[in-house]
Order: sequence, then structure tokens, then C-alpha cells
Amino acid sequence: MWAAQHAQRWRTLRQRFRRQRFRRRNLRARSAAVFIVVAAATLGLPAAGKADPALNFSWFQNAGPLNPHLYTPNQMFAQGMVYEPLVKYQADGSVSPWLAQSWEASPDGKTYTFKLRQDVSFSNGEKFDAAAVVANVEAILANRERHTWLELMNQIVGAEALDAYTVRLTLKDAYYPFLQELALPRPMRFIAPSQFKDGGTKSGIKAPIGTGPWKLTETRLGEYDVFTRNDSYWGAKPAYEKITVKVISDPNMRAVAFETGQIDLIYGADGPISPDMFARFAKMRRYATALSDPIQTRALAINSAREPTSDLAVRKALNHAVDKDMMIATVFHGTQKKADALFASNVPYADIGLEPYNYDPALAAKLLDEDGWRLTGDGPIRSKNGKPLTIEFSFAGTDAISKSIAEIVQADLRKVGIDTVLVGEEESSVYARQKDGRFGMIFNRTWGAPYDPHAFVSSMRVPSHADYRAQLGLARKAEIDAEIGKVLTTTDEATRKALYKNIFTYLHEQAVYLPLTYATIFAVAKPEVGPLQFGAMATEIPFEKLKPGAK
Amino acid sequence: MQAFVLKRLLFLVPTLLAASFVIFLMLRIGPGDPAMDYLRLSNVPPTPQALADARTMLGLDRPILVQYVDWLKQALQLDFGTSYASQRPVLPDLLHYLPATLQLASVALILTLGISIPLGMWAARHPDRLPDQIVRLVAFVGVSMPNFWLAFLLVLLFSVQLGWLPAMGRGAWTQLIMPALAISFMSLSINARLLRASMLEVAGQRHVYYARLRGLSERNIEHTHILRNALLPIITATGMHIGELIGGTLVIESIFGWPGVGRYAVSAIFNRDYPVIQCFTLMMVIVFVLCNLVVDILYAWVDPRIRLAAGEAK
Repeated sequence: MWAAQHAQRWRTLRQRFRRQRFRRRNLRARSAAVFIVVAAATLGLPAAGKADPALNFSWFQNAGPLNPHLYTPNQMFAQGMVYEPLVKYQADGSVSPWLAQSWEASPDGKTYTFKLRQDVSFSNGEKFDAAAVVANVEAILANRERHTWLELMNQIVGAEALDAYTVRLTLKDAYYPFLQELALPRPMRFIAPSQFKDGGTKSGIKAPIGTGPWKLTETRLGEYDVFTRNDSYWGAKPAYEKITVKVISDPNMRAVAFETGQIDLIYGADGPISPDMFARFAKMRRYATALSDPIQTRALAINSAREPTSDLAVRKALNHAVDKDMMIATVFHGTQKKADALFASNVPYADIGLEPYNYDPALAAKLLDEDGWRLTGDGPIRSKNGKPLTIEFSFAGTDAISKSIAEIVQADLRKVGIDTVLVGEEESSVYARQKDGRFGMIFNRTWGAPYDPHAFVSSMRVPSHADYRAQLGLARKAEIDAEIGKVLTTTDEATRKALYKNIFTYLHEQAVYLPLTYATIFAVAKPEVGPLQFGAMATEIPFEKLKPGAK
Repeated sequence: MQAFVLKRLLFLVPTLLAASFVIFLMLRIGPGDPAMDYLRLSNVPPTPQALADARTMLGLDRPILVQYVDWLKQALQLDFGTSYASQRPVLPDLLHYLPATLQLASVALILTLGISIPLGMWAARHPDRLPDQIVRLVAFVGVSMPNFWLAFLLVLLFSVQLGWLPAMGRGAWTQLIMPALAISFMSLSINARLLRASMLEVAGQRHVYYARLRGLSERNIEHTHILRNALLPIITATGMHIGELIGGTLVIESIFGWPGVGRYAVSAIFNRDYPVIQCFTLMMVIVFVLCNLVVDILYAWVDPRIRLAAGEAK
């Protein structure tokens, strides 16, 4: 009996001991694991950091064959990753040296001599020199008719190599935005001449070989493109080693792909995700979100050549009657900025302190009253000499955002006694209306950097543009057109400034535009992507500036 | 039989010719300007000069009939032109995207049949009882809910909330589940109800009654005497569903980032990419006609009465 009890106690003791030993061993194993993790965190991570991170991005279609001198299907952001310009466009509208380290313009502004950097090669090892520049310019000019929309291409006569690293470009006339247009993502960028097909780029290229920080290394049609860092790049090397650009056409699914970790970054100007999605991500605080400075203006052109908007008081009243803040809060979920003038103050030559037309329905009503547009008592709409105050508002009916804005404008104007007839039509019909001026108000967009202001202002002189039609009723229209002609060709900076100020001020005072919002670029990223940066042009994505892991 | 198939295939020629003309004409008399879309895609401000140049480049400045005859001449040599948006030949691109779509559509078809037949049988075994009510509810939801809405709900639940399935892409089999289910849900709902009705109808017929009198097992009766007869309408319906499934891929592929013909066609429609739309629609015409042909052949194979009738007519 005792022996049995004794044996039992022994067994229990032994078991307890074993259990403790197990626990101890377990504890040892655990502490070893913790040690390994800590060691990995302190020692291992820098070691892992040797392999630079990769970024997953998405775009609505494949990058295309990346011919630097052609348009769709070549995607501009991708052309900008692989090919570089002679000069780089800056956010303030100036240009800085890039592949050209310096340049000099002749006094008459008709020739520009560029000194090229001597340390640049294409990603296949070919040297980038004056001969390569001349070959590229000639390839572009061989297809001149494709580029006529760009004034630069109408002005440029030719290129010649003065020595191995000096190039001279000749123009027909002096054209001050020449350097800005040289900085565009296309067509003035450079591919290794060995990749020309049939002696040029008009009918395609062999492979996309540029001088830029990235190389296109893999393309799967309809699935993704892979860009790899160009390790022989002459400039600062990007922190990411690889960027995979997945093809995602639907904005909602782009948001889902981001939320489920399939992409790390959302970036773009043309609705990469819907404004409410952006607002939702911003609210979540789990991600980094950012909006760029204004990139272009969404405005209404008001027809000064047609009744009743031929009346200055009516145009001014329109400017005071629309509640833009409310529009931005409801339609854009705060993702756009209120526009006070046709050009935002960050546009070159546009920071001239124009006084905004503030939202003030009472003032709008007063202006109309003083001008004789009165409420007669038998309805909410004003009239003058028996004619009701009715304005035709033309917009693309298929565009949901235009439609929402049009409805808000209509409601706001009704509050001050203006009747708005909404004419929602197919895009080409809207275009036909702006061409021959059959509108009271119509949507209008500026073109963004680097076209603003010069190219946009230049187009105001073309009769088929809404701007031309809207301004046609202005007393000084002919004078303004002449000033625009002068501003593009003058070589004197002070004159140019004064002329721009004149033009902008007159158009603002005459209220031929109702500026609504300044569009922005959206960026949403996982926190590990680091601080978000924006390019100076809406069409470029500065992947090379991303600093993953930085705060 | 061979003569029948050959005749049907020959009939495809005038069908395609007529369809191509109607599509060509409808696209061009419809609203919209592809040159404008081309400029938008190219980020070129649509100045009148740029628009005119783009029209010349895309060949849109010529009379419609001239455009059609040119297109037809090339199409006869299997050259369906160059896409406005991608500047690549249309047919090779469509063929590149086709396998992905066929894969998705066949999995959807397997799901449709694999789920609807057991569901229909289950409902028919217990008419107006709980299983029947459940199937009725599922079918009601399936028929009422648009596939893209279902797709978004699935993504929300399984990808965003639970994180079980990848939201998009192609490669792993897990990426097939949600798109295939979203496409097939409506067809399988219809099929389940159809099979239930058809089985109940056959079950009331005299040969089933006699089979019971002969003392055959219920299982035998259901499989041999009811199901086989009840399957006939399902075959007809499936023929139509194949078209629906492939049509369903249009939207579903865009949602799930599935690199197939459907997504290609949807972006072509948005961009007014006429050559792609034309080639895609013709391809769909061929698919529909061929599906109907296969259904007719299957029909004769399953139902000896049809075969015999055709034989006698000869």
C-alpha cells in the first residue's frame, strides 16, 4: 500500500519535473526565437535592405511600345520614366538644365545653342551626344504633320551638331515658350539612334532604350509592365529597384487592389480613383494621402456675344451667385480647390492679385436689379423689357461630374432669379456648339502645365474655341488678340509680364469666365512608400523621387 | 447530319456579312467622334487642326461606304485593321485575349451546370417544402441581381473584409472563383428553377407512373425516367446561357482585371475604337451561331425522337 502510494508520488513528482523542464525548454526556445527576431531586426534588416524594395503601381492600360516620338498607346508617364528632355520643366514655370547643362539664345530669339552633359549614355551603353540629338530631332521632324498641334513643332526648322556635345536648334520666329515645350514628355525626347526603324521612329522602334532612370524590362499585354532601375543612370539613382505597373482599368477596383495590398501607390490626375474613395482613404489615416497644387482650371466660358450674357452685369452676377465651396464639398469631396481666376496663382505670370468674385447672392441680386433685370412678381425669374433672364448651359450629358455641377449651378442661379436651361448632349454636339458659339455658358478647361498660360491663351484667337466665341462680344477683343500675338513673340521679359497682366486683368474684369475649381493630382500610398511627391507636370510621375521608409 | 451542319455553317456567311454592315453603319451614324477620343487618349488639346489631322490619320475623313468596302476587303484576308487606341492590329490582340475569356467562360459554365442541376433536383424532390423555398429564394436573388453588383459584393466580402480571395488578376485558381461565380449566378438560378419545373412535369407523366408500378427503385426512376427527359429544356437554355456567360465577361473582366476579350472590348467601347468593336462583335456573332448549332446537335443526340424525325424526313 505504502509502496504503491510512494510510487504514485514519485510519478507525480517526475511528471511535474518533466513539465517544468518542458516549460523551461519552451521558454528557452521562445527566448531564442525572440533573440533571432531582435537580431534580425537590428542586424538582418540592413542586410535585407541591400535588396532595394519594389513598388506595385497600376495604370488603366499597358505602357505601350514606348516610342518617345508618338502618342497613344504610348503612356506619357512611362515615356517620362525612360526618356529625358534637354531641359526640365519646374513648378514655377521656368526650366532647369537636364541633358543640356547650359544653353544660350541668340538676341533675336531664333537660335538656341545647347551644351550637352558629357556623362550621359543610353541604357544600352550607347553614348548620348550631339549626333544622337540631331538624329532624334530629324526623326521627329520627318513626322512633322503628327505634331502640328504643338507650336514648337511649327517653329522648329532644324538641328545641327556644332561639335560632339554642342547642338544648335533653329526656329522660324522668336517663340518664348520654346524651352517649356522642349520639356514636354513628348515628342522632344531621345531614344538611342540604333533603335530607329527604317532610319526613323515614324514607323516604330526596335526597343525602348533611353537615358532615363528606368528601363522597361517586361511587358505582359493586358496584365502588367515591369520597369527596372537603370543602374548606369547619370543622375541620382532611384530608391526602388523595380516598379510593376499592373493594368487595372476600373477606378473602384484600383481602390480595392490598394486596400487588399496588390498595389502600393495610387497616383494620377484623371480620376485614378473617385473623389469619394480618396476622401475615404484620407479619413482612414492608415494611408498617406496628398493632393497636389492646382494643375488646371475647370471654368465656364460665358458668351459675351449673345443675350442675355452680353450684359456685363449679368456675367458678374453669375460669378457672385455660384457657391463653389458647396460644389467642392459635395461633388468633389474636397479633392479640388476653389478657383478664383481663370489661372491659379501658381501658373507663370498669373500671380497678379486679381480680386476674386466672392459668393454673394445678395450682391448678385443687387447687380441685376441695378441693371434693370427685375423680379416682376409673377414668378421666380427676373426679366428686362419683357424678356426673361434665361441662359442656356451646354455640357456633355454623359459625364456625371459635369451633370452634377450643371445642376448645382442651375439651383444657385435660380435663387437669384436666373433661369438656366440645361442642355446635356453628346460630346461632339457640345464641341459643335462651342465651335459656332451656340451657348450661353459652356464647360471649359485650361490645358495645365506647361501649356498654361501661353498655349491656352494662344488658342483664344482660334474661332472654333469656346474662348474665342465667349470673348467675341467684348469691346476690346481685337486688341486682346493682338496682345496675345505679341506676348508669344516678345523676347523681353518685362514686356511679356505687362502684356499678360493686361490680358488676364481685362478678361477677369469682363467676367467672361466663371472659374469653378482647380483640379489636383491625387496620391494615395501605403505609409512605407514614404513622403509623396508631385511632378511639375501632371503627366509625369516622379517615381525616382520616392524615398521608401523615410518619414 | 453532316449536310445539316454544313448548311448551318454556310448560313454563317450571309449572317456575318449582314451583321458586319449593320455594325459598321451603326457605329458611324451613332453619336461621338473617335478622333476626339484619340486626342484625349494622346493628351493632345483638341484644336480643330489636331482633330482634322486625327481624322485623316484614322481614315475617318472618307465616305462611309468607301470605308466599309475597304474594311471588308481587308477583313476577307483576316485583317481587321488597326486599333485606334493601341495602334496594334486588332485580330492578333483579340486572339491573345481570347484564351483567358474562354477559360473564365468554361469555368462559369461548369459552375452553372454543376450547381444548378443538383439544386434543381433537390427542389423537385421536395416541391413547395423548405428545400424548394430555399432554391426559389436563391433563384429570385440570382435573377434580380446584376452580375457587376454581385461582383462588387463578393469582392467586398471575400477580398476586403475577409481577405480570403485575391480581388483581381489571373494566374492562380483562387482568382477564378469570384469572377466565375459572378458570371454564372444568374444562369444557374434560371437553370435550377427550369429543371425543377421540368422534372415535376415529367414526374407526372404516365411512363413514370408505369415505372413505379413496375416496382423500379425511386433512384432509378428519378435518374433514368425523369431526369433524362427533364434535361431537354436545360440544353436549350444552356445554349443561350453560353452567350450570356460570354456577354457577362464584358463587365466582369473589367471589374476583376481579367485580361480577356471582354475587358478589351469594354475599353474599346469607351474609346470608340471602331476596328476593335467591329471585330469583337463579329466574333460574338460567330460564337452565338456556333453555340446554337452545338445545341441543336446535342438535342438530336439526347432525344432520339428528334433524330428519328429528321431521319424520316430524309
